[in-house]
Amino acid sequence: MGFLVPLALIGLLAVPIIITFYMLRLRRPERAVSSTFLWQQLVRDVEANAPWQRLRRSLLLLLQLLLAVIFAFLVARPFAEHPAGLARDLVLVIDASASMSSTDEFPDRLTAAKRVALEQMAQVPSDGRVSVIAAGDTARVVANEATDRGRIARAIESIEASTSASDLTDALKLAGSLAERARGAEILVVTDDAGSTVPNVTLEVPVRVATVGRERDNQAIAALAVRADPSGLKRTLFVSVANYSASAVVRRLQILADGSPVTARDLALQPLSRADVVIDELPAGAAVVEARISAPEASSEGSGPVDYLAVDDAAWAVVPPDRLRRVLLVGPGNVYLQNAFALLPNVELYGATAEQYPATTGKELFDLIVFDGFLPTELPRKPILAFAPPQTSALGVVNGTLDTFGMGQPAADDPLLRGVDLTRLHIAKTQSIDLPPWARPVIPGSDGPLLYSGLRDGLGTVVFAFDVRQSDLPLQVAWPILISNLAGELLGVGPQQAVDPIPPSSPVEIPMPPNSLGVRVTLPDGTVEQLAPGATGASSVTFVTTRQLGIYRAEVIAPPPPSLAPGQTPTPTPLPSPTVSPTVNPSANPSASPGASPAAPGASPAAPGATQDEPLLFAVDLFSPEESNIRPGDGARIGSLGTDVPAESEAPGMARDEFWPLLVTLALIFLIVEWLVYERDGARRILNGIRRANPFAARGAARRKGSA
Amino acid sequence: MKRDLLPSAVDPTVFDEYFLRQLERLMLVTKKAVHGGMKGVRRSVKRGQSVEFTDYRDYSLGDDLRALDWNLYARLEKLFIKLFVEEEDVNVHILLDASASMDGGSPDKLLFGKRAAAALAYVGLASYDRISMAVLQGKVARRFSPVRGTGRVFQVLADLSGVKPAPGPTDLASACRHYAAQITQRGPLILISDLFDDNAERAISELAGTRCNVAVLHTLSAYELDPPLEGDLRLVDRETGDAVNVTADLFTLDAYRARLADWQTRLDEVATKRRVAYLPTPTTMPLADLVFAELRRRQVVAA
Repeated sequence: MGFLVPLALIGLLAVPIIITFYMLRLRRPERAVSSTFLWQQLVRDVEANAPWQRLRRSLLLLLQLLLAVIFAFLVARPFAEHPAGLARDLVLVIDASASMSSTDEFPDRLTAAKRVALEQMAQVPSDGRVSVIAAGDTARVVANEATDRGRIARAIESIEASTSASDLTDALKLAGSLAERARGAEILVVTDDAGSTVPNVTLEVPVRVATVGRERDNQAIAALAVRADPSGLKRTLFVSVANYSASAVVRRLQILADGSPVTARDLALQPLSRADVVIDELPAGAAVVEARISAPEASSEGSGPVDYLAVDDAAWAVVPPDRLRRVLLVGPGNVYLQNAFALLPNVELYGATAEQYPATTGKELFDLIVFDGFLPTELPRKPILAFAPPQTSALGVVNGTLDTFGMGQPAADDPLLRGVDLTRLHIAKTQSIDLPPWARPVIPGSDGPLLYSGLRDGLGTVVFAFDVRQSDLPLQVAWPILISNLAGELLGVGPQQAVDPIPPSSPVEIPMPPNSLGVRVTLPDGTVEQLAPGATGASSVTFVTTRQLGIYRAEVIAPPPPSLAPGQTPTPTPLPSPTVSPTVNPSANPSASPGASPAAPGASPAAPGATQDEPLLFAVDLFSPEESNIRPGDGARIGSLGTDVPAESEAPGMARDEFWPLLVTLALIFLIVEWLVYERDGARRILNGIRRANPFAARGAARRKGSA
Repeated sequence: MKRDLLPSAVDPTVFDEYFLRQLERLMLVTKKAVHGGMKGVRRSVKRGQSVEFTDYRDYSLGDDLRALDWNLYARLEKLFIKLFVEEEDVNVHILLDASASMDGGSPDKLLFGKRAAAALAYVGLASYDRISMAVLQGKVARRFSPVRGTGRVFQVLADLSGVKPAPGPTDLASACRHYAAQITQRGPLILISDLFDDNAERAISELAGTRCNVAVLHTLSAYELDPPLEGDLRLVDRETGDAVNVTADLFTLDAYRARLADWQTRLDEVATKRRVAYLPTPTTMPLADLVFAELRRRQVVAA
C-alpha cells in the first residue's frame, strides 16, 4: 500500500492535540446555588485546582481520535496496485444512441454503460491515457488523451442519451484514428449492441466490447403519416405499431389531434410483428396529430411484458395544409363543368374563352387547365383536363368525329371510376382519338377510347373524347363523383404536399420569403431559436437542432416597416397585381364561386414553406427499427472488427485502487456516531420535553409505571 | 387594600390579613395534656375551674363548699368534692432556619419559611397559646419575645419581616441544641429549614430530645428539586463558598434526583424513629395547601 499524498499524514498530529485538549481542565462558568451539600456527595472527582487533569475514558475522545486518523489517511489517499487489465492508451466509445435509453437496466442502459466504463477505468494503468467518444447522433470526442481520472469520469458522466439512430460506424472510425496515434492502444466499446447493422469499418487495433442490456421487450410506433384524400375532402391517418418483443402484447394506441384525444384502441400485437391502423376521420382543421402507445391499464395482467424504451412510444405528424387550387376553364362556357368544380372544396375556378387564352398570362399559377372543345397549339406545362379535343395534339391523334360507335366495359378497378356508375351512359357524338402511349383507357370504345388518363411528361392528363353536352353524363349522379375523382387525380396530393417526418438530428431546410430577417423556431420543449439567413436575400435557412422528438414550429421574422421621411405621406401599399385578372372575361366565368376573387394567384402556394402569416410545422420522429429493436447483443460482431491480440504487447502497467470511498464511508459513520454521542443529552431533553408536553403519553407512562 | 391594614413594619409579602381569618379556625395539636402557665383552652394536667368534670375526691377541711356534690352526699351520706379539668395555654415553639442557604430559590425559601412560620404562629395565637419563635443562625438560636393573643400577631409579623439570611455558615445542630436547652415548657415545636447541613439528622434528634411534639418542614425550592442546569458548570455554595465542578447532563441530574430522594428518605426514617413529623415542603406548594391540607394530614394542626 502506498500513499499518493504522504505529506498529508502530518494530519496525525491532530491525535496528541486532541488528547491534550481532553487533559486540559475545562473552564466552567460559575453558578451560585443554595448549597452544594448534595452535589458534593454526587461528584466523585473533586480535583485539585490544577490546569491538568487525569485523562479519563471517554467515548467522545475515542471517536474523535478515530476521526482524526481517518481524515489524515483520507487526505493522504492510500492506494494498492495491481496489474492493469487494459492498455496504456485506451479509446473508450460509449454508445449513446436512442436504444441506450432503454430502462431494462437501472435506471437506463446509458447510465449502466457509464457505470461499466467507470469500473473499467480501474483497469487502466495509473499513467494511462484515455480518450472518450460519445456515439450519439454524431461521434463526438468528449475527452482526448486525458490522464486525470476525475476529468475522465466527468467526461463520461457528461454524455447524454441521443434520440437518434447510431450504428457506431463513425464513432469506431474516429476511435480507430485516435488509437493509431499510440502504439499498443486499445478500443473499448460500451454498447448494447442492439440492431442488426454491423458497423462498416475495419480497425487495426484490438477492440474490447462491454455490453449492457438484458431485455428485448419493446413496442414502437414504426410509422405515422397523414395523407389527404385525392379529392381533398378528408385526411387519412396511417399508423404502424411494431412489436419487437418475443411475446404477444396488447397496447393501447391513442390518437390526439392538436392535443385533444381523437380515438383510442387496444391493439393485440403478435411477437415480432407490426400492426397497421388507418383512421379516416380526423377532425377538420387539425394541424398536428400525435400517436401514443401505452399499456392498456397499469394493473392489468395479460397486457404482455413491459415496454422498456419510451422514446419510440410517441410520434407526431403534421397534417398537410389545405391549399387553394386554381383551375382555369378555357372554352365557351360549360355550366355542367362549372357546377361540378364549384362543389369541390378549396378550388377556385377561373374562366377564359378560346380567343382570350393566348393573351392570358400567369398560366403557371394554375393547378389545372380545363380545355372544353378547344386546344391551344402549344399545350401548357400543367395538368390538363380536355373535353373533345378538336385537333391532334400531344393529347392524342384525332381521327375525326364519330356518330356511331360502341362503348366498351370500363375498368372496374380504375381509381377514376370509384363510386361511378356508367351503365346508363349514353353518348351521342365523340371524337375518334388514338390512345397515346402515356395513357391508359378508362372508358374504352370501339373506335378509340372515350376517356383515358395518364402522366404526360410527368403531368397528369385526362381526356374526354366526347363533349359532355353530347351525352347524358352531366345529368347522372355519377357526374360530380367522376369530376371529384378527376380532381383527385389531377389536383391531388403531390410529393410536395406530404409533410414527411424528419429523423432526429437531421438538418431541415426552411424556406422563407425574400427580405426576411430570419426564422424563429420553437422547439418541442418550448425553447426558441432564431436563425439568420446565411446571405442577404437567401431564400432558405438550415435548421440543425432537431435532437428533440416532437413538433417544431418555424415562423418568419418579418422586416420592420420602412420609416417615412419627414413630410412624406404614406401611400397605400399596392396589392400584388393579379396577372390573370385582366385577361379573364367575367362574362365567360359565370359560375366561378362568388368569393373566388382572382386577385390572389400572386402568392406562392407551392411548397410547405414558412410564410409571414402561417408558420411552418414539421415533425421529428424516431422511426428507426434499428433503435426500436433493443435486443442486446453479445458484442462479438463489434469485437471482430478489430485485431485479435495486441499488435505489440508491452509490459502491462499497474493500476491503482484507491481506498478513499471506504475511508469516506468510515468517516461519515464515525462522524454520525460522534454527533449522536455528543447530542444524546439534548436528544433526551427533547424527548422528555415532548413527553411532558403530551399529557396522554405522560398519563400512559404513569399508568404503566403504576401497573408495574 | 388589605395591605393597608397591616403595620408599616410588617413585610406585606409575608402575610395578608385575609389569610388570618382562615387560620383562626385551626389549632396546633398537642398529643398530651399540657403543663401550661396561664389560663388557656388546652387541657392541663392540673385540676381547676373549667366546666369539664374529671373526678371526685374526699372532702377535706377548707375545701370550697361550692364544689361539694350534694347529690352524692344525699345518696351515700359522705362528702365528696367534684374535680374539674384545668385549661391552660401551651408554649408553641417555631424555629426558622435563616441560614444563607435559605436565601434562594423561586419562590424564595426564606420567604416561604416566614409565611409558614407566621401562619403557624397565628394558629397558635388564635388558640390562646404562647408563641416562642426563634431564628437559627450561626450556632445559636436567636429568640424573639414570647407572645400571646391574636392581638400580638402584628408583632410576630414584624419580627419575621426583620429576619434576614445570615452570612457565613450555619451549624444547624448546634443552633437546635442551643434552643432545646432553653425550653422550659413543652409544646408543639416546628422547625422550618432546608436541612442543608451535614448534621441535619442530629439537629432533628436534638429537637426530639426535648419531648415536644416536633414537626420538621423540610423546605426545598423547585431549583433544588429539579435543577435547571446544563453543561459544564462550577457550582458555588452561597453559605460556605465551596465550589463543585459538575457536568450537568441528564445522567448527572438523574443521579442528583436519586441522591435527593435517598437523603429525604433517610431524614424521614430518622424523624419517624424519633417520633418527629417530617414534611417535605416544596416552596411551590401554596401556603393554604400546606396549612389546611398537609399539616392537617400529618396532625400538626387540627380544626
